Amino acid sequence: MSEISAITVKALVKSVATQEGELTILNGINMDVKQGESIAILGPSGSGKSTLLGLLAALDSPSSGEIILDGVALHSLNEEKKAALRKQKVSFIFQSFMLVDTLNALENVMLPAELAGINKAKEKAQAMLERVGLSHRLTHFPNQLSGGEQQRVAIARAFICEPKVLFADEPTGNLDAANSQKVADMLFELNRESDTTLVLVTHDLALAKRCERQLLMNSGELTEDSEAENQKRAQKPVSLHSVGAS
Amino acid sequence: MEMQLAWRLFKRELLQGQLLLIVLAITLAVLSVTGLARVSERLQIAINGQASKFIAADRIINSPVKIDETILAKADELGLHHVSSMQFNSMVFAQDKFQLVTVRAVEEGYPLKGKIELNEKEGAQYSELPRAGHLWFETRLGGLLGYPKVLELGNQEFSLSAEIARLPDAGFNPFASSPVVLMRIEDVASTGVIQPGSRVTYLAQFAGEAEQLTEFEAYAKPLLNSSQRWVDVQSGDSPIADAVKRAERFLLLASLLGIALACAAIGIAAQRYCQRHYDVVAMLKTFGASAKQIRILFGVHLLLVTFFGVVLGLIGGFVLDGTITAFLPAEIAAYSPPLLRPILLGLATGFISAFMFSAYPLMRLLSIPPLRVLQRQLEGLQLGMWLHLILSLLAMAVLGYLYSKSLPLTLTVVAGVLLLGLLLSVLGFAMIRAGHSIGMKTTNPLQLALAGLRRRAKQNAIQLVGFSSALVLLLTILALRQDLLSEWQNQLPENAPNYFLVNIAPDESEPLGEFLAQNTVKTTDIYPVIRGRLIEINGEKLISAEQEKEGIEGRRGISRELNLTWRDELPENNELLEGEFNVNDNDVSVESGVAERLGIKLGDSLTYVIDNQNLTVNVSSIREVHWETLQPNFFMIFTKSSLSSFAHTSMASFYLDEGRSDVVLQIIKQFPTVSIIDVGNMIKQLRQIIDQVSLSLTLVLVLVILASSLVMIAQTEAGMATRQRELAVLRTFGASGWLLRMATGLEFALLGAIAGLLAVIVAEFTLYLLKTQVFELNVYMHWPWWGIAPVCGALIVALLGVWRCRQLLSKSCSELLKSPA
Repeated sequence: MSEISAITVKALVKSVATQEGELTILNGINMDVKQGESIAILGPSGSGKSTLLGLLAALDSPSSGEIILDGVALHSLNEEKKAALRKQKVSFIFQSFMLVDTLNALENVMLPAELAGINKAKEKAQAMLERVGLSHRLTHFPNQLSGGEQQRVAIARAFICEPKVLFADEPTGNLDAANSQKVADMLFELNRESDTTLVLVTHDLALAKRCERQLLMNSGELTEDSEAENQKRAQKPVSLHSVGAS
Repeated sequence: MEMQLAWRLFKRELLQGQLLLIVLAITLAVLSVTGLARVSERLQIAINGQASKFIAADRIINSPVKIDETILAKADELGLHHVSSMQFNSMVFAQDKFQLVTVRAVEEGYPLKGKIELNEKEGAQYSELPRAGHLWFETRLGGLLGYPKVLELGNQEFSLSAEIARLPDAGFNPFASSPVVLMRIEDVASTGVIQPGSRVTYLAQFAGEAEQLTEFEAYAKPLLNSSQRWVDVQSGDSPIADAVKRAERFLLLASLLGIALACAAIGIAAQRYCQRHYDVVAMLKTFGASAKQIRILFGVHLLLVTFFGVVLGLIGGFVLDGTITAFLPAEIAAYSPPLLRPILLGLATGFISAFMFSAYPLMRLLSIPPLRVLQRQLEGLQLGMWLHLILSLLAMAVLGYLYSKSLPLTLTVVAGVLLLGLLLSVLGFAMIRAGHSIGMKTTNPLQLALAGLRRRAKQNAIQLVGFSSALVLLLTILALRQDLLSEWQNQLPENAPNYFLVNIAPDESEPLGEFLAQNTVKTTDIYPVIRGRLIEINGEKLISAEQEKEGIEGRRGISRELNLTWRDELPENNELLEGEFNVNDNDVSVESGVAERLGIKLGDSLTYVIDNQNLTVNVSSIREVHWETLQPNFFMIFTKSSLSSFAHTSMASFYLDEGRSDVVLQIIKQFPTVSIIDVGNMIKQLRQIIDQVSLSLTLVLVLVILASSLVMIAQTEAGMATRQRELAVLRTFGASGWLLRMATGLEFALLGAIAGLLAVIVAEFTLYLLKTQVFELNVYMHWPWWGIAPVCGALIVALLGVWRCRQLLSKSCSELLKSPA
């Protein structure tokens, strides 16, 4: 892990207007993630985890505060520049896989590489799929693959452009235990190999524990999760489990 | 890269059937336009070709003076065929007998269209036209002059070499008092009958390609003076002018409505097409695709979809044209209109409709935020439906104008569609809101259906607009087609009289009646005919056109003698507009057109000269006469008591089967002074034209049915998308497939029934406007529709809904919940 910051967040606030008045979702978040580090953001449903993920990944704009991603201040960028930044430095894994139904496994993996104008996208995609153990499934469409296989395609897609930062939103949330294990192994293995910074949002403590650092989101505030608290929570995992992403 | 990706997406989505609806909608729009443009152009040429046989040319200039050489030179320059002829009245002599005849002097090439029908004698050889020194004569002249071999016309003697049954441009005029003789124009000078001041009609007949004829018309028409007349197949001289005009209007209107429907299908399909790509766009943006990349990607993708639809549509259009052509008589199939216009129209239709109707959904698609990958409920910007509406109406207007080349008609149709949409949405929304909310019990499909109907009032109102517009247009076209066909059928009913007997002397009436009865021939009507001239209206002297030109002041009358008749009852094909038909002895009934031209009103007194005696009568009624029927029609009908004292002849008509020409020959022999006019061939030709027109009307109807069905399918597809999540939730909670199918079926059935009812209301109103303002047809209510339309609407829409529901329910709950709506 390097000492250089991959993500720096200062006094981040996100509020939205509702019929009942303004609702603050994130309330003055500060955090720092080093390059190559893996962090997990834990928290109950509705605590603001996914909102934070959206802001960190330049998918959304904060109400106030600063986010610096790989040395670039996100608040100074317009939507086009944010898209360009995502293309160059960021990748994603989603709970619902978000594969394009009408493209086969190979074409889904090629997609970000093609968008980024990377040469030999097809060969790279083939190699990535081989790496995740799906070389025999290249021409299969998402509806012909199991959930675990679909998420492995999504992992291959996430790493094809060698991103600086990888955001994963409940990557095992839709999978059974066996597949969760397999997918998590693959994710952390690839992450290590490529020295990618990993920001993972999850309810799954076991998965969170595999990250180097755990942060706890509660009512819009982020705190460093101590080992003791982790242990305590590990005894009552049910309380953090709920259906769907927060 | 974007191109490759667009191609890949297109290829995959096409193979997986996801583009079926939008491709079908584009294909149908292009197919309708291309096919209709080509078929209707082909039929138009065929109809005009048939119709032009009635005037023996495509265009005629009718003039009392010689026609300007520069006009004829222009016709030559444009490559038009033309022939000149003269028509005048003169006496002919055969030994001690003489007769006034109408001489038609023609040059080589006459007739340009159609042919001269002769009563051919066995073994005789006939040339195309009478040779120099010869005359051809109408059969009844033979009877009147005792079948001489030679006739004197002016200073010249002519041999009589053939009997004319009918000249192609003779028109339908059983009252023509003088028989026609046909001669060479070159022989006219030697007769010496044309002197300065003689009344002669000069005719120049033209034939050629439509484009040249149009150019010629633009050049020549402004050069004609008020005494010269321009005649074409629609000028009213032709008995089918009215039918052709109405058919043209119908074809144009129905095609425009068909295009509007196909466009609506494209609009609905485009919206679904864009909705399906929301997640893809969000995902692409997440992975850093720039706005430009996404614009290019989906622009190219839509272009490929449109191109594919257009190509299929063009092929379909030509296949349709080929299929229809195969059913047409060889003579009509031989007409081949230029290919360029239908192709260009098809291309314009496909691309304009696909892009203009997709513009707004596409804008929304491109504005989908990347955050949708995390928050699935997020959608793109909401610019308001007005933009979508403006773009859609604009597309419709551009296409309508390109197709019809008529701005007023296009604007009328667009305004009509807009009004229809507004009216239907307001009515539909009100009807749905009026229903009671019963809750959402998952045991009773009807309650579930009613609750669903009300909960989705807004979406359902939009769907109603789709369903009912399709039905309104379908019902309108169906009714108009039926009315036009029965109108024409009435004009030429089966067993319509095909022979007319004229000049029946009073002492011949009885023996002739007996002869016909013996031969089981039934005469339809007998009219006495007396010639007279109208000289005064309310005591005011009338002047002729010539007198008016000489500067004599006075009220303008009719320059010629009229055929007058008496009758106690209104003739069958006449319609009483004002007053009462011939109640008092000195009543007269006047035809509405002549009454309007001469300013005659009810109660006016009219004075006639008949046999040098004056007769004054009062106008007691105004009648409308259907001139297009092949029946004797009269401007003035008197009572028996006012006319029966004058010398008269009679006329009658009868129907004779084709194989019984012996009866006609016997009449000619036994009653030589009675003239027989055979209109059988004319009727046959008219029927042929009407059959062709009917075919085109049916074709348009089929296309409108297809377009309506597609709109309904597209609308069901869109409707199911809004129901998918709810179905999935109910399914998850254990609702049976039967319950869900029934509930969906019932909800759609209710929607269909309301749509059907609305459609009938609006269709009756639309038909009222169209029939009174455009087609001049009788207005009546279509009562059976009030029952049939809601039932059929309910059935069709319910079946479509259940079918789509069955497809959805074949998926697992998790698939349903996960898949985007």
